[in-house]
Amino acid sequence: MSVISSQNRRTLIAVFVTLLIICAMIAYVATTPRPREQFFQLYVLGAKHMAADYYPNNDTDIRLGEPVTWYLGVTDNMGTVQLVSILVKIGNQTIKPPDDQQALESPAPVVAEFMRFMQDNETWETPFVWSITDAVSVGGSTRILVLQIDNATYQIQDVSASNGHNFRLILELWTWQTETNAFEFGWIAGGEHRVAWLQVWFNMTSPRLA
Amino acid sequence: MRRIQSKLALAAVLAIMSLVAVQPLMVKSQTIETLQPHFGQTLASVHQAESAGATPNEIGALVGLLNKALELNEDALKLTAPDEAQRRAELVAQVDQILTTVENRAADLTALASQRSYMNKVFTYVWGVVAAILGTIVYAFATSFYRKYRIKRTFQMRVARK
Repeated sequence: MSVISSQNRRTLIAVFVTLLIICAMIAYVATTPRPREQFFQLYVLGAKHMAADYYPNNDTDIRLGEPVTWYLGVTDNMGTVQLVSILVKIGNQTIKPPDDQQALESPAPVVAEFMRFMQDNETWETPFVWSITDAVSVGGSTRILVLQIDNATYQIQDVSASNGHNFRLILELWTWQTETNAFEFGWIAGGEHRVAWLQVWFNMTSPRLA
Repeated sequence: MRRIQSKLALAAVLAIMSLVAVQPLMVKSQTIETLQPHFGQTLASVHQAESAGATPNEIGALVGLLNKALELNEDALKLTAPDEAQRRAELVAQVDQILTTVENRAADLTALASQRSYMNKVFTYVWGVVAAILGTIVYAFATSFYRKYRIKRTFQMRVARK
């Protein structure tokens, strides 16, 4: 004689199957990685580590040899290790900035580059101390000749501005694409090409006379 | 017939030439020439380890080594004088050695992490089955206890005259 009646057995089997389905769903959710938004953050902070005080004495006019302290930062939220590069470019008012829609970089000349491998969820911040070591004024046009960034000297070519107004440093985020084995401006997430860039304007109205 | 063949050959040459001409436009990087291709291969192997389920701590150790290799590579690129060639070669050899170490570790991690992920998945599903069995047993005991309780209550009833 059976201890459990056939009706009870059917009920127990139904309960077991229901619990099995629920537990299998929980196990699937627990073991399957959730899709997340993939992106980078690029930022530049001023001398006091805040989004202010980008210029010495809050004066946008930078003098020869005057050090300017910023902090450049990148956060990797791509879910994987990334090789990132911040390109520092110098431009004037007329040069094209990067194009967000077409994901095109600025044609401004590259001054310096900072490269690093980054882990997922890692923020990499580096001090960025720069100064204009040499600039010359020729016929009302100021040309920056030498820029010093973190104790390294960079020769600049073909960047001038009328009366030294509206120069800018453009910071672009490039990432290494394993598919193409090359650095590309921005990154690809969800089939879309996205870019991150910043620019800070400044003046250089006290160059040496040619 | 020969004329058609020569036209086809010309078209093929033109197509190849246009591809070769387009190639430099597609390579946008400023540093692609300076960065060793080995870095790209190593990064791909680290990605494999990550997708296999390596932990952030395990990956962090590899990233530390990669950044060390990157620093050495940058140092090597700064040595351009002819008398610095030997030092440059030493640095490049060190970079290659570090990258090879990272690749090997990444391969080991990939094997280890994929096995670990598989076992974790199996354990999770087994625990699901165990939980379902336990849940059914608890349900059976609970219903049995409830029935006994109801029977007991029924037999404890008294008929009272109103």
